[in-house]
Amino acid sequence: MKQYGFYLGCLMPTEQYAYELSLRETLPHLDIELIDLPGASCCGEPMKSINQLMTLYLSARNIAIAEKKSLDIFAPCAMCHLALTECQHILQHNESMKNRINSLLAQEDLEMKGTSRIFHTVDLLHDVVGLDLLKHAVKNPVALKVATHYGCHLIRPSEIGRPVDSENPQKMENILITLGATPVDYPQKLDCCGAPILAHLPESALTKTGQKLQAIQDQGFDALVTVCPWCQKMFDARQQKAGEIIAATLNIPVFYLSQLLGLALGIDKKKLGLHLNHSSVNSLEVEEL
Amino acid sequence: MGIKDLTTMGESQVDIKNEIRQRMDKLVEELPDFCFQCGKCTSGCEAYKLLELEPHRIVALLKRGLIDEMINSDVIWTCMSCFKCRERCPQRVAPVDILFSLKNLSVLQGKQIPGKFTGMLQSILSSGLIQGIQEVTTCDNRTVTRDDLGLPSLITPDSGSFQVSKIAIEKI
Repeated sequence: MKQYGFYLGCLMPTEQYAYELSLRETLPHLDIELIDLPGASCCGEPMKSINQLMTLYLSARNIAIAEKKSLDIFAPCAMCHLALTECQHILQHNESMKNRINSLLAQEDLEMKGTSRIFHTVDLLHDVVGLDLLKHAVKNPVALKVATHYGCHLIRPSEIGRPVDSENPQKMENILITLGATPVDYPQKLDCCGAPILAHLPESALTKTGQKLQAIQDQGFDALVTVCPWCQKMFDARQQKAGEIIAATLNIPVFYLSQLLGLALGIDKKKLGLHLNHSSVNSLEVEEL
Repeated sequence: MGIKDLTTMGESQVDIKNEIRQRMDKLVEELPDFCFQCGKCTSGCEAYKLLELEPHRIVALLKRGLIDEMINSDVIWTCMSCFKCRERCPQRVAPVDILFSLKNLSVLQGKQIPGKFTGMLQSILSSGLIQGIQEVTTCDNRTVTRDDLGLPSLITPDSGSFQVSKIAIEKI
């Protein structure tokens, strides 16, 4: 089994339990073993507007915790994945900053070397597990017409190295086809979910959410698929509120990719946290699955 | 940096201010010269239609040295950090990073931190995460947390060692 340090971040382990449940449940079936990283903290990305150096320090600290165990990192949140990757990129190119951060980390007996590789759900499934193995593992194809949402932080900025293409990401589509679904590109695919301004401009944030959901609903998709706890929170838990704000009736099921993966692998719904989704995922299952 | 400094600006932070100032000066000197105001950043900006953020205008204002004016404006807080401007700029100017620096400087100068940032920061400094473990509702209206779902208990930074981190953050 390939081992990865499971970097949880903040939102997934404190609120978005369905993502964590479904990842812990599905990945061992695909030869991936997740090792917990006790003592890990926030990646710092939510604080970037307040102090960028704090972001850098917190990210380096988390990478160092995984490196101490000689593990590559699996960060299933797009925001965390960006923070950790950017931290590695900056410290690789800025020796004096690296020394400065490491002198602070030394007090906790940690050192950030930059040797661990950082993975997200999408490249872990697409590039590490691979579509062939995935295809063999599928027991119940998920026959749904789905829209995908990657999350801005997962696809940009390509300069620092991102797991998917910045303007035409297709890895989730390839995975979903392997699971038996029919993903279709749509004009709003790269639009933001609104989460980064939820903390201080909630109405504007939810307007973004609502506009994207409305577009997806109008185009006749069965469901929306996400790979980031922030995006999922906006599209799933806040769907009703977003509908109220844009004065529309929104009713579009929103799944984590790992939940659809679990259904395709034949895993029990409850183990995948489907009872925790707020959007109408369960009504859909009865009809379609 | 400590929460006290961030929220009350109780102590002077000459070093950090100088550092961010230097970063800003560097940005003023170098980056905007490359910008030829093509507007590609603004045409794709997620915050443009909804909140009237115009990244190319931010770069133009920076070029004219109007940093204080921007720091005092709410518009810098409308950026959704989607990174489209950085990705698509033909001259690699990255308005999103200029906006991050402007926001950092605004916080350092003691301007009001908007929304829930202060709460998240306090939570990071006390428990390492932006929020504590939340109760969530299931589709059949039960309230559950990690334990009820059989998830392993969350091991956040232990307060002893994270104390060191706090001091480290303060030094930053």
